This record gives sequence, C-alpha cells and structure tokens, in this order.
Amino acid sequence: MTTPSKGILIFAHNNEEIDYLKLATINAYYIKENLGIDNITVVTNQFSYDYNLDEMGYDFIHNAISNIIITSKDKAFKNINRRSYKDTSHKSTSLPFYNIDRCDAYDLSPYDETILIDADYLIMSDSLNQCWGHDNELMMNWNYEDIMSERNDESLKRLSPVGITMYWATVVYFKKSNYAQQFFNTVRHVRDNTQYYQELYRWPGGLYRNDYSFSVAAHMLSGFVEKGVPQLPVPALYKTFDTDDVHSSPEKNELLFYLEKPKSLGDFMLCRWRGIDIHVMNKWAINRVSKELLSHVI
Amino acid sequence: MTSKLTKALEFSNYRLTLNIQQNALRSKVQTLLSYSTNGGTFEISQMLISFVQTLITQGHSKAVLLDVYNNPVEIVGLDDFLDEILSRYFEATNEYHAEYSKIKKSRKVHKLVDLELDDNSK
Repeated sequence: MTTPSKGILIFAHNNEEIDYLKLATINAYYIKENLGIDNITVVTNQFSYDYNLDEMGYDFIHNAISNIIITSKDKAFKNINRRSYKDTSHKSTSLPFYNIDRCDAYDLSPYDETILIDADYLIMSDSLNQCWGHDNELMMNWNYEDIMSERNDESLKRLSPVGITMYWATVVYFKKSNYAQQFFNTVRHVRDNTQYYQELYRWPGGLYRNDYSFSVAAHMLSGFVEKGVPQLPVPALYKTFDTDDVHSSPEKNELLFYLEKPKSLGDFMLCRWRGIDIHVMNKWAINRVSKELLSHVI
Repeated sequence: MTSKLTKALEFSNYRLTLNIQQNALRSKVQTLLSYSTNGGTFEISQMLISFVQTLITQGHSKAVLLDVYNNPVEIVGLDDFLDEILSRYFEATNEYHAEYSKIKKSRKVHKLVDLELDDNSK
C-alpha cells in the first residue's frame, strides 16, 4: 500500500501593495522547518510570479516552494472585490482582494491530504502535523482567539448577529474524498450565487469573503446544523489584526507584537509570541520583519 | 529604542501585559497537550492518564477511547500510548512551569516580554 501524499496549499495573488507570493515564500521556509513538509504548492498568477522572480530570484522561491501553479486572474472580480487593508489604525488603503479561486483548492491540490492555509498564517510550530491521517475528512475552525483576549469582536463569531457560526477559511484540512469534493463544489456554488446566499444568510457588506462561503457550505453540508464540520486538532486559531504591528522576530518561531489597546486606537501593548502558529493580518508588518524572519530559517 | 517602542512601553499596563503573556503561555501548553494518533485526537489530561493507567492495571492491552471529537479510536498497545502521553505531559508542564516562574518574577513590562532594556527606562 502506498503512503498517501500530503502537502500544504497556499493561494498567493499580489495586489498593488501586498506581495502575497513573498509572504507565501517566507511561510514556506517556516513550513519546511517546523512541519518537515517539502510538498508545498502555491497557486499564483503570472504577474505575481514574474514580479517575485525579479525581486527575490528563482532559487529563493523554488528552494521553498516545490510546486507553483499559475492561474489566470478574473479581472472583473479583481476590480470589484476591494477591501480596506490596514497597516495599524494609522494607515488604511483600499486594494483588490483577490480570493475568488480558493474554492478550486480541491481540484488544484496534487496531494491526497492537504492543509490549505492563508499566506499570512505563519507556521511556527509542528501542531498542524496532527492533521495527517486523521479520520475526519475535512476540518476547519470556528473557534479563534485574539491573542489580546481583552478585545472581543462579536461580529467575527457569526455571519450576522442572528446568523450561523462563522468558520475561518484561514486553515482547512481535507483529504481527497467524495465529502471534501462535495464541500468545495458547494463553496463554488455559493461563490457563483453570492447575491442569493448573502440575502439568505445575511452577511454584511459587499465584499466576497471565503470565510462566508466556507461557513455557508459547512452549514449546508451538515444538514443545516450548526458547527457540523469538525475543527482542526489544535485548541484554536490564534490571530492578530491589521490594527496590530510587529516589532521584531527576536528568535526562531518568535514574534514580538504591538497589540492595539481596546478603546485606545493607536496605543499598543506588547506581547511576545512563541512557538504557536499565528495569523498575522497586518501584511506590511510581516514584510517589515521579513529579513529577520528569514534569517532564522535560511 | 524607537519612539514607537517607548510609547508602547509608556502605555503598557503591567497587569494587562502579564495577562497577555500568561494567556500566550497557556495557549502554547494547550497546543502541546493535544495529541493525535490512529486518526483521532486526544487532549492529554490528568483524567486521560489516570484512565489509561486504570485500563492497564486491569490487564487491558488495547481499548477503544473516545477522542476530543467523541469518535471511537482503537488504541492497540496501551502501554506505549501511556508512555507517549506521559512524556508529552511532562514536557508541556515542565515548560509551563519554567516559563510561568520566569513571568511571575518579572516586575517590569519589558522583562515580561523578554526585552533587553535598561531597568530604569520603565
């Protein structure tokens, strides 16, 4: 019997300011170091890839990423789906948020078992190795924790105040199976009929987010039952927000954060974060410490 | 020291920083106490350790345990399973104890976050 292949999948489409492919490459070095996984596939587009070849060089990218899949961009979607990206509360920029193809993860993944992660979900431990060989065919989290526990944003727990539980598409484990395929087909169906499902599930705003479509698909495929898709075998998804900043990466798998104080915008507390995977939503902040981050793993 | 860091330290409240660091530490320990095997996931707790020890004491070498998802997971070789969870438990709690003691002794914000600064700066 052959051993099922396992690998990590990351989607990375740059916009005018955020170099997602660079973030994915940095993360890939951490994945290799901490998970011991060399099968890393990144889905990107020709523009992002060419830009990074010029900026970082072929070896830098390909020493970390074993497989690059180039897809074409849906330009109409790119122009429509814009969101406000923050670099702390002091700077906010409206930029394209190109996330339309995440529902293709099942078809694009070359692995029997896949962990799909955001480029900015930094792998600083081996805890996701617990997913491999799991009985659950699909796992993702609704439980998240802001590392500054004093902040409590109820709007991140449900799609609407009286709506279904919100799952985070930040990290999704799936194995090639009918169930997982059906799940991603359902996500695609929700994406293709966004207006209908938005009215039905009442999520706010005009932005298309995978968290919404994954949550709706989870709800539908669980027989319209809450929290029907099991969570990942980790206690929680830990997050910082785009209003936070990173001071430095003092050691391998460590980040020193500036966490914005609740009710005191622009003022920060400090937190030293060690050896746990973390979603760092301020992309500029990761970029500022990218050399430090890389110095620990290259 | 950058002005941003100075400002952060000025605004830092010792107790709040202490809470944040303690929570970060607890998160790490919780992560270390999660153990997956045979397609299931277990939270390594004193209860799990005692239960497995009881099964072994009663002469069982294999058993079906309910994991954190309440799925039945067959564990063949309870002795090895117990060794593994005990080893992980000691590793996690020893690290917790060492780090917790360090935090408890830190009386300044920059020491809580292991920043090397002049003690008179805050």
